[in-house]
Parts: sequence; C-alpha cells; structure tokens
Amino acid sequence: MATRGAAFQHAVPTAAGAHAPAATGVWSWITTVDHKRIGILYGISAFVFFLIGGIEALIIRLQLATPGAHVVSAETFNALFTMHGTTMVFLAVMPFNAAFMNYMLPLMIGARDVAFPRLNALSFWIFLIGGLFVNASFLVGTPPDGGWFGYTSLTLRQFSPGPAVDFWVISLQVLGASSVIAAVNFIVTILNMRPPGMTLMRMPVFVWMSLVVQFLIVLAFPAVTVGLIFLTFDRFFGTRFYDVLAGGDLHLWQHLFWIFGHPEVYILVLPALGIVSEVLPVFARKPLFGAPVVIYSGVLIGFFGFGVWSHHMFAVGMGPVADAAFSVGTMLIAIPTGVKIFNWLATLWGGTLRPTVALHFAVGLIALFTLGGLSGIMHASPPIDLQQTDTYFVVAHFHYVLIGGALFGLFSGAYYWWPKITGRFLSEGLGRLHFWLLFVAFNLTFFPQHYLGAIGMPRRIYTYQTGMGWDGWNMVSTIGAFGIGLAVFVFLVNAARSLRGPRTAPNDPWDARTLEWRTSSPPPPYDFETIPPVYGRDTFWREKYGDRRGRKPVPLPPAPDPHGTHLPAPSTWPIVMGLGIGLGAVGALTSLALLIVGALILVLGAFSFALEHHRNPMHEHQVGSIGLDHRKLGIWTFLASECMFFGSLIATYMAYRGKSVVGPYPHEILNLPLTTVSTFDLLMSSLLMVLALDAITRGDLAKTRLWLAGTALFGLIFLGFQVYEFASFVHEGLTLQQNLFGSTFFVLTGFHGGHVTIGVAWLLTLWIMALRGRLDRRDAVKVEIAGLYWHFVDIVWIVIFTLIYLVP
Amino acid sequence: MEKAAAIVSCVTRPAPGRPPVSVPLAVAMLAGGCAWDGPMSTLTGRSDLARSTLYLYGIVTWATVIIGSVVIGLLAWILFRYRDRPGAPLPRQIAGHSLLEISWTILPALILLVIAIPTMQVIFRTQAPPKPGALEIQVLGKQWWWEFRYPSLELVTANELHVPVGRTVSLRLEGPDVIHSFWVPQLGGKRDVVPGRVNRITFTPDTPGDYPGQCAEYCGTSHANMAMRVIVDRPADFEKWVATQKATPGEPAGAAAEGKGVFTKSACVGCHTIKGVSAGALGPDLTHFGSRQTLAAGMFPNTVENVTAWIRMPTVMKPGAKMPAVPMTEAEAKALATYLVSLK
Repeated sequence: MATRGAAFQHAVPTAAGAHAPAATGVWSWITTVDHKRIGILYGISAFVFFLIGGIEALIIRLQLATPGAHVVSAETFNALFTMHGTTMVFLAVMPFNAAFMNYMLPLMIGARDVAFPRLNALSFWIFLIGGLFVNASFLVGTPPDGGWFGYTSLTLRQFSPGPAVDFWVISLQVLGASSVIAAVNFIVTILNMRPPGMTLMRMPVFVWMSLVVQFLIVLAFPAVTVGLIFLTFDRFFGTRFYDVLAGGDLHLWQHLFWIFGHPEVYILVLPALGIVSEVLPVFARKPLFGAPVVIYSGVLIGFFGFGVWSHHMFAVGMGPVADAAFSVGTMLIAIPTGVKIFNWLATLWGGTLRPTVALHFAVGLIALFTLGGLSGIMHASPPIDLQQTDTYFVVAHFHYVLIGGALFGLFSGAYYWWPKITGRFLSEGLGRLHFWLLFVAFNLTFFPQHYLGAIGMPRRIYTYQTGMGWDGWNMVSTIGAFGIGLAVFVFLVNAARSLRGPRTAPNDPWDARTLEWRTSSPPPPYDFETIPPVYGRDTFWREKYGDRRGRKPVPLPPAPDPHGTHLPAPSTWPIVMGLGIGLGAVGALTSLALLIVGALILVLGAFSFALEHHRNPMHEHQVGSIGLDHRKLGIWTFLASECMFFGSLIATYMAYRGKSVVGPYPHEILNLPLTTVSTFDLLMSSLLMVLALDAITRGDLAKTRLWLAGTALFGLIFLGFQVYEFASFVHEGLTLQQNLFGSTFFVLTGFHGGHVTIGVAWLLTLWIMALRGRLDRRDAVKVEIAGLYWHFVDIVWIVIFTLIYLVP
Repeated sequence: MEKAAAIVSCVTRPAPGRPPVSVPLAVAMLAGGCAWDGPMSTLTGRSDLARSTLYLYGIVTWATVIIGSVVIGLLAWILFRYRDRPGAPLPRQIAGHSLLEISWTILPALILLVIAIPTMQVIFRTQAPPKPGALEIQVLGKQWWWEFRYPSLELVTANELHVPVGRTVSLRLEGPDVIHSFWVPQLGGKRDVVPGRVNRITFTPDTPGDYPGQCAEYCGTSHANMAMRVIVDRPADFEKWVATQKATPGEPAGAAAEGKGVFTKSACVGCHTIKGVSAGALGPDLTHFGSRQTLAAGMFPNTVENVTAWIRMPTVMKPGAKMPAVPMTEAEAKALATYLVSLK
C-alpha cells in the first residue's frame, strides 16, 4: 500500500468502533467527495427548499380559505402554485431521496463509496445552483407562473413575456443535468460496487427501488430536456416548435413533458416504498414477505410507468382508441402496486410489531398510499377522469401519493436511519407527536379536497365565488394545512434537540437486518474497516440469528478489497463547474458576456476535473463486480440516456415532417451527394477510432497518436461539411425561424454537431496527452470510452442521415 | 370467465332512482355538512354524457371503497393483533408464500376487469361522432372569456350558452390563444380547447336549467375568472331566445342614446361588434349584451354600476383583463353602461 498516491488521505482503520479523524470546517464540506457528507448536504438543502415550498402552500391555503379573499393577487397566486409544485418535486422530494441514496446505498451494499465520488459532488452542486437560481426569481420579482407543467402556448414569449418562465426553463434544465449525472453514478455504484456474495437478488429492496428510479431518471429526463430545448429556442431564438400558425402542435409539449412526468411520479415515490420495505421487516422482526415479488413489482411499476403518460392527457382530445389503450395500461399498474401492499401486510402479519416512530410512518404510508392508489384507479377510467382532472379531486389524489406515499416514507427513513447518520436518537415521544399531528392534519387538509373536487372546484384558481358549496371545506383544508406546518415544526424541534444531545446510539440500535448497521454510528469515513462478508438476503440478520431454522453461517473471511481503505481526495472542481453553470444561467437572462464567462469556467472546470487524477495509481484499476470498468459502465449508461435524447429529437422531426406551411421544403434544399460524402467521412472516422484503440491496447504509441489525430481530423472535416451546409441553407432562405422544417432540422443536426464537437475536443485532448507522453497502454480504457461515445455519435448520424436525407 | 362476466353484469347494473355514487362517498366523508348537488357538482348528471359517467363513477366508487375498507381494516386488525407484548418470542421467519402471492396478483386483475369493461363501453359510446340533426355550436376559448357561435342560426354570443332541452348538441372546440378546457360538470366531463386543433363534445341535455361551468385548464392570470353558464331552455323558450338574438336592437333613447354616442366615438368600436353599429372582432359581441345575466365571464351581475366600473378600470375588476381602460369621464362611462345594458 506504500505506492498510494500522495493525493489520497490515509485513513487507517483503528480498533473497532473508533472514529477516524475526519476533516472539519466549511472548506472540507465544499470540497467533500464523501458520499455520506454529500448525502447530508442533499438532506439539509432539500429540507430548506421543503420549508420554502411549504410556506408557499400555506399562503395558497390562506388565499383559498374563504371565497373572494385578497391575501395575494392573482399573479402572485399563480406564481405560488407554480413554484410550490416545482419546488416540492425537484427541490424537496427528489433531493430527499438523493440524500438517503447517497448516504445509505454504499453502506447497504457493503461498498466504501460511490463509483464516481467527484461526480457525486458535482450533481449536488449543480442541484443546489439550479434550486437557488429558480428561487432567485422571487428576489427580482418575476417568479415563474406558467404552472409546474409549463404547458405551451401559455409559456411562449407571446403569452408569458418577461423572464419569469425563462427562470423556470433554465433551472429545470440545470436540475435535469444534476439528476442524470447522479443517476449514472448510482447505477454504476449499485451494479458494479457490490462485494462478492451480494448478488442482485440479495440486495436490500431500498437499493433495488433506487436502481429502478435511476434507470427511470436516465431514460425519462431526456424527453423533457428535449421539450425544454424546444421551448427555450422558441422563447429565445424564435423557432416554431410550438407555433400553431406555423403548423406546430401543442400536444408535442404535453407528450414530451408527460413521457418524463409520469415516470417522475415513480421517481418520487419508489424510494419511499423501498424505505418502507426496509423498515417493516426490522420492526416486525420478520423478513420482508416475498421479497423477490416486491422487487419484481417495483421493476414492473417502473416499466409500466413508461407506457401510461397519456393518462394525464385524457381531456386533450386524443380520440377513443388512445384513451382506451392508455386507460388499460394505467389500470395494469394497480396490479404490482397492490402486490406490494399485500406483501407489506403479510410482512406485518405474525410479526412482533415494535411501535417505533419509524414504524408509525411506514404503516401510515401503507394506509395513505392505498387511498391515493385507489383514487388513482378512479381516474384511470377516462370518462371519470374527465370529471375529475384539473379539479381538487386530483389535488387530493396526488397529495395522498406524494405526501402519504413519498413524504411519510421519507420521514420513516429519517427516524430509522437518524441514529446511523448522527450517532444520536430522535425523541420517540416528540416523534409520535410529529406523526399523529401530521397524520391527522394531512387527512384534514386533503380528504375534504376529494369532496371539493367532486362538487366541481377546479384546480389552480386563485379565487372562487360563494354559493358553490365550497366555502366550509376550504376553510377546514386550510386549518389542516397549518397543522401540517406545526407537525413539521415539531420534527425540527426534535432534530435540533437530538443534535445537541450526546451520542448514545449504538451500531445496531434497532436489531436490524442490513449491512449499514454493521458499522459504527456514524460510520467512519471509509464506511467499513473490512469489506463485510455477505451470506444471503438480510445478511447482517443471518450473522446474528442464522437462517430460518437458526443455523448460523460459517464465518467467511473478510471479502477481498482491491482498493484498500483509501479515501478519494477532496476536489474543488465540482463546485467550480457548478458555479460556471450558475454564472451561465444568470448570463442567459442578463448578458451574453456573463454567459460566455460561465461557459468558459464550466469548460475549464471540466478539463481540470477530468485530468485531476490522471496518472493517479489508485484510479487505474476500476473493474467492478460485473467485470466492467466503472467508466465503461458509466458511459454505456449515459449513452442509454443519449438514445432517449436523440430519439425524442428525431421523433419530433418525423412528427413535424411535411407540416411546414411555408418553404423552403426539404426536397428543394437538401444536398444528398454532399451529405453522402460527409456521412462517409464520419463512418471512416469510426474505423480510425477502432485503430486508435487497437494501437494503444498493443502499446504502440506512435500509431495511437496517428489514429487519434486522424479520427479528430475526420470529425473536423464532418463539422466543416456541416458548417458549409448550414451556411448554404441560410443563404437559400432556410433559417431556424423560417418554418417547422428549419426549426427541427437545425436543432436536430445542430445538437448532433455539438456532440461531434465535444467528441473532437475529447479526442484532441487525448492526442495532446499522447504527444506529451502522458498516455500509454494503462490508459486504454480512456481511449475506449472516448471511442464508445464517438461510435454512438456516428450511429446517431446514420439514423439522422437515413431519415432526413434518404427517406423521401 | 363466465363467473367474471356474471360479476360484471351484477355490479354494473345501475341502481334505479338514486345517484349511485353518493352513498359510498357519503359514508366515506362521514360528514353531515356535505351536499352532493352544488351548482357545479359532478354527481348530478343532467345530460346523457354526464349520466353515463355517473354510471361508471358508481361502479368504480363501490369497487375502490370496498377494496380500501378491506385493506385498511386488515391493516388495523394486524396492528392490533400483532402488537409487541413484553417477552414475545422471535416470530417465525417466513420469507413468503407463492400461492398467496399469486392469488393476490390475480385478484386485483379480476377486479380491474369489472372496471375496465364498462369503461371501454362508455369511452366509445360518448366519443361517437354526433348524429345528424345535432345542433352544432362553435366554442372559442379566449383569455379569459368564451365565445359561442351558432353557424346554423347565424348567432354569436359570449359566456352564456343557450341550448334547447332534448336536442343533441355538438360543440366544436377551437381556440386562438392558449389552451383552455370547456367544463360544465352537470352536463358532462371536460374537453380541452387546443389552439390548432378541433375537439368535440357531444351531449343531449335532459333537464331545463342554468348550469354553471368554468375553464378547467390553467390559462394565465385570470384563469379563475373564466366562468360560463349553459342555459338549457325548453324548446319554446329557446326559439324565443333565438328570435331575440337575431333581431337588431332598437334605437336607444335618453341616457342610453348618449351612451351610444360615446360608444361610436371611442375606441370600443375597434374590438366589439354591435350589429348595425360596429364590427370589431377582438372582444365579445355586444349586440345583445343586456340579455346576459353576468359580466366579465361570470364575475359580476350585469348591472349599470358594474358595467360602469368595468369600463373605467377593467384590470382592477378582472386581473390581467385584455380590455384597455378607454379614457372617458365617469358620466360618459355611465351613459355607455346604460346603453350596453339596454341592449336586450
């Protein structure tokens, strides 16, 4: 171990239970790459945003308490419900989930950190910047007011002038980037960082649900990213994507938004269902009933979740066939959801139920999520949905799912894992007060909203007239909402008191079943002194109590530990990149110069980030439990996301084909011979890329330099063709703004060209490193991942070339 | 399968003489203060469309209330029965039971059939193309008011839609600006008004009355103030209403005549049509403005005072209103209001 790089802090395990000295101070938090600290940062930020979103909700409820109230203006009210939804979805529940995933996933699978610790820090800082940016809109007096769903044409410049919607569009893109980066990281961590014995089916259900959620994020976010790109281009550059007069279709946004938006529901709620699946067995002192079925049902919910987005669109006029199809698909989701609930009940059945606060919240989730699911079945039936959608009935439904489901699960997890994270207990007495206040106040707030919706109260109205029968129950709902506020305050008091108290929590205070309880509370920076052995599902329980018949496993030697107990060094580059993005976002709304400065900081930060650990011996060997290098698995996962990104762009091009109302039209302008040559050039660059990888694998550095330069050169030639093509099109009258063809063509091929440009920069960087003798056969994997990206971009071009140029 | 079909036919038979939904919902609410027939209640159908929704609503409500009660009841019983007692031994470590798990996968699927089959029937029945002879009305949703055009009768009105009882009405929903949603709960479910597309709602009202409705898709600042009403007239009343609307209003006298002078000399004429006086197209047609009960898409009673205030400061009366405050004195505004209200 003496060869360890100087960039690493040495943290030598000491006697059992001792805490290794950890760095302290603000700077150590800013530069931290420790998954546990990043988890805490996520948790605290999410809680602050949760309080902001809660205050917004209370103002909304004050305004609606009585008919014709004047607490806030119409404009303010519309901004409040927009920001309440945006905040709770993107800035509270998602980062709460991220907090637990960050802290717990590595511990639960017996790993020492995530696969890419610095990327983890990067996702956090980007998230924080995105959250601060969208909330900064309040400070300049223009909060977004187009709804969290941002339907066009209302969100176009014509109907929403000013920067309000710009804040929303840009911050959502920033937050999406953060989520996708984190998702790639978690997928690689879960698949590739498991110690021997931790097979997929032995993973705790929370880990499984997190894995499903990360795949949902990777595959669902690109759709809304593309929708937001169109909206940004329409608002800033005058493209025609959502311009009805130019032939645009407003359903396009709704499809792109809900292809993301429905999986997003499961992104929000599945982690909580995972937490409950951990908490119930511990406090029933029984294994999870039918764990494989609970896992499969979670996977199925995620899978079905991609096929039902249009049930948010029954009112838009898709026609009876589409309504029927999406209705049946939606009803099918009830089956795996029901299976989960029955398996939970069976887990409790026959157990010895220890009524801890964590169990209170888990049981509360079962009850409330069941109600939310059942009202969901009602609007799976389109005729009923047409009476319920956009009324308070739906508001009640999704709060039962997202508070009764997600938030109750998160509170359950908070009480369950608090001793592990802080080394202290939360008060059970205050916790019970917190639970009962929240349970009663929640039902008081939202159960009457079913009734309000049924007797016709629409959503998103800032005022209503008396005489509709809505007055009394709105007042009740408002009183309930303040009760929720009080319950959250009780939790704050509980947390503050606990943090001031002594560290009394033992390693395994609940007599739990999974690996995170096998290390100290709080865990040392390196998580485990030795990588824990895995004997089966609930491996820690098995170690303590044996299997079903009480037979204890034969103790295994500590698992092999290829990396030693090193800790990754802190890094400043994640926050630098985050600041670059923040400056760029501010620049997008204020000045081009600032935008360029932000972009430069981002690019320089990215290069420094990428090269920070080059030649660090600890970073050379990253082959994980499924036999793939982390970086390769990471790039594969990222490319899956890219498939959805280009898929959405290409699908839009195809949907808008022939819909332009003015010329120039494709057949008048496309230059097939020229593009055939450039396509051939790009294909040949892939061949050179293969040669470059072959050369570096063999250690032939001269050839490596040659083929890398060749690939980059062919890429540059392709870009040259594209610049020429764009210029000649503009000369012939086809611009971004001219018609739908111009908008879809330039945005699709332009984003592809952007990808080629990044690829060329990547290859040239490798080439320069090779010239300076900083690249040899140890770095073959770096060339290989650049190659995977390069081949992917080429394949995308073949699809684009076929669909745009070849298909008449 | 036969058994399933039997269950379906048993459950789906509508209960005669009472709204099938209200009983379980009322039980669920446990609240004496709830009335189920408010002006915008979705639980009192007054057209074939609303009634077929209610029939489904009944089935699904019963199914969900029963499932919910069973699950919550079972949960409560388990919590009581298996609560921790001092000295309790370690429970049996049961990992699962295949037969049980298979059965509670299949059971929900069967229950879903009970919901899915009638759902499919109602979807296709309610979205069938309108029969010939239906009264076609063009509905234009605009920020933040409704325009109703009767092509066959050559009539245009705003915010208050008159239809005859017992005749099938086919609404052609179109919009020039942003997405709105047409919704009159007692007459049926909502349907979006999407710029660039044509949507349809077809229904046959079966009870005369005055049914309030509201835009149900968030459409900007005054989304809350985009109400409407559908007045279902007896056939004779409808004929009378049509005749009044087709007539050119008579020449006003007194203050109203003065108001007409204000109207013709001001910017009003650029946006509003009054048959024989002006031909503006942006704002509502005012030819029979006085025959409407409310002002500003259902916000205020249509009185001279309210109309005066509206003319003087539209955005105070209705946030974001697109009508500019045309400069005029209080007296001029009042005369103008008197004129407008006189246009019966």
